[in-house]
Amino acid sequence: MKRLGALALAAMTASAQVTFDRLLNAAKEPGQWMTYSGAYNGWRHSPLDQIRRENVSSLQVKWVYQMPTTHLVETTPLVVDGIMYFTEPPSNVVAVDAETGRQFWRYRRELPSKINVCCGQVNRGVAVLGDRVFVGTVDAHLVALDRRTGDVLWDVEVANYRHGYSVTVAPLIVKDMVISGIAGGEYGIRGFLDAYDAATGKRRWRFWTIPGPGEKGNETWSGESWKTGGGSTWVTGSYDPSQNAIVWGVGNPSPDWNGDSRLGDNLYSDSAIALDADTGKLKWHFQFVPHDVHDWDAVQVPVLVDDEFQGRRRKLVYWAHRNGFYYVLDRETGKFLAGKAFATQTWAKGLDPNGRPIRLPNIDPSPEGTYIFPGVQGATNWYSPSYSPVTKLFYLSTWENRSVYRKGEQEYTPGNRYIGSVPLIDLPDDPGWGAIRALNPKTGDRVWEYKLHTKPWSGVLSTAGNLVFGGSDEGHIFALDAATGKEMWRRNVGGIIRSNAISYMSKGKQVVAMAAGSSIFTFELAGR
Amino acid sequence: MRLLAPLAFAALLQAQEAKNPATSTADVAAGAKTFRSHCSECHGFEAQGGRGPNLASGVFYHGSSDAELLRNISDGIAGTEMPGLFYSPDRVWQVVSYLRSLNARAAPAGDPAKGAAIYGAKGCAKCHRIDGSGGRLGPDLSQIGRARSAEHIRQAIATPNADVRQRYWFVSATGPEGKPVSGFLMNEDTYTVQFMDLGEQLHSMNKSDLRGYQVEMKSRMPPFPMPAADLDNLTAYLVSLRPKGGSK
Repeated sequence: MKRLGALALAAMTASAQVTFDRLLNAAKEPGQWMTYSGAYNGWRHSPLDQIRRENVSSLQVKWVYQMPTTHLVETTPLVVDGIMYFTEPPSNVVAVDAETGRQFWRYRRELPSKINVCCGQVNRGVAVLGDRVFVGTVDAHLVALDRRTGDVLWDVEVANYRHGYSVTVAPLIVKDMVISGIAGGEYGIRGFLDAYDAATGKRRWRFWTIPGPGEKGNETWSGESWKTGGGSTWVTGSYDPSQNAIVWGVGNPSPDWNGDSRLGDNLYSDSAIALDADTGKLKWHFQFVPHDVHDWDAVQVPVLVDDEFQGRRRKLVYWAHRNGFYYVLDRETGKFLAGKAFATQTWAKGLDPNGRPIRLPNIDPSPEGTYIFPGVQGATNWYSPSYSPVTKLFYLSTWENRSVYRKGEQEYTPGNRYIGSVPLIDLPDDPGWGAIRALNPKTGDRVWEYKLHTKPWSGVLSTAGNLVFGGSDEGHIFALDAATGKEMWRRNVGGIIRSNAISYMSKGKQVVAMAAGSSIFTFELAGR
Repeated sequence: MRLLAPLAFAALLQAQEAKNPATSTADVAAGAKTFRSHCSECHGFEAQGGRGPNLASGVFYHGSSDAELLRNISDGIAGTEMPGLFYSPDRVWQVVSYLRSLNARAAPAGDPAKGAAIYGAKGCAKCHRIDGSGGRLGPDLSQIGRARSAEHIRQAIATPNADVRQRYWFVSATGPEGKPVSGFLMNEDTYTVQFMDLGEQLHSMNKSDLRGYQVEMKSRMPPFPMPAADLDNLTAYLVSLRPKGGSK
């Protein structure tokens, strides 16, 4: 018995180490959820098929974990070898038994009293490598915790929070590095994407999303505006091992709604960027909105797919952007291949052959206010899309909504808002509505739509059980038929949902987990 | 440590007595500019309130002295969504001056006692409640003077349709048996609707069960034409309705 126990323990310890190799081969371990999007390709797809269209009606609550927090919960949990890791806002981390929801440990981040984060002191999740769990904090630190105890192993300052920098993004592990973005596009930061040594916390490289003098792209910023140009990186990107490329989205230029001080295209704001993972050097970029004045960040998860496109096999990126257009890009060059509006938009006539928007007149913010679709929060936003290799469809949450874009003056002062406006995000008598949509990813054509009375802030998860899981601000979690969009199951969990679902296996049963309100809800089929 | 405590106390005393050094017209204008850039997203373009409280009424629940306003704007308010600013005190003093200029405007011209009589004569209490008496169909007005500016209240009486909150949109539904039912929207999601009918009864219905369903974004409050002086008096009465106790 003694010997057996030792053996079992050894086996568990060995499998409990998350290695880069395991992350590369995440598809071979469908029972785990080891990175933000489930795998490096950014699909947010679970190959598990125990929960299917045919039996999903018997889905029931497995356990609930309630967080003692008043902040918005945007976390995506990770599940590795039976342990679930998630963040509790502002910047705490919790580890629980994925089978029971009972807590192993909780890391509580002490924070300074004065922190300015544009849109709530939120966090979207952790990364795991080896014996470590990594979390970014709203006071702009990156922290490594012991996977078994939550003890701090290292804690490094990413940037100065007093100047409007914060970390809300879930980090991404690539090789032996922790890749972390930055938030603060409403505070005139100069954005970057960083790589840190997972063992020591030492920074390996930094890519400035706003090029400095002498660097290519700096000429797209008038005067000194590059110094406060924004270009945050607050949503986790993807990794393409075949090219050793990190593909990541860059946020809005600062100030958001008044571009007079930053004439030019403002690279690499509102762009997809591909960086060499070892050096952080730029391989290619594609800018969705040159000289943005509507706050349409490119903070969507890049969906990386290899497939036939226009007669030949290509490496592709699928991207539904906040500006209302869906794009197909060539992943080797960043070249634009196709694009089409996926929601109502009133700002562009279309896209030119290079994918550059053909702007309509009178669309810029004005002192008296300009009405434009999509609204300030976009036709989609940071919440994850999903790609299913089963249906070969692209799924996303969308908004049909407009805003009044007002232009105002703005001067830069460190740590304070630098937005150039006072936008009216929601029109009281025209609140808009939302939908879950399925697109043909090669054309952007709509295949189906599931309408919602309100605008969803929740991502979508597709599964091999031919289901798409999503949620609403009304507090419903639902499962739709991935082929038709028909509602197959729904539960009112009574809290707004601002997160992304995941799926994992526990004791032989498939589990779907999603944060709602200030809780993590898990579901499994009834019976054993 | 022993030395520090009396020192901190002295600093606190000094802060409490602090006098706003930035009260010129130019300071008020500069304060307005800062307010619009940094505060209006939550507190409204004219400080009339929104996601954050109305700051134009002169009622502040976390302290209403100049020094307390300076502190709350500079440091934020713990336990609320109110963040701090990274500005020097002179700049924050200007914001305080701007708010004070709005507070000065907040006092309406009319006579509250005369206004109370008009409130009774016009039958406002059929739909509105004050301190527990009156109808339930319209907004409870017990603390309206804290929640809305005088200007806003005046406009709401003269033109009820100018600003209709979603809670008072009007639902007209046809039930599964063809029976019509209507009332004021209380809540709505993708699948269900909750509302209060004109008899003050509550309804919760599955939208998929309804034969007809429509929501009108208009106010059901009729316009009440009255002389300007009466409108002033009624406004003054409503502005006087504020929470008992607490800081004025």
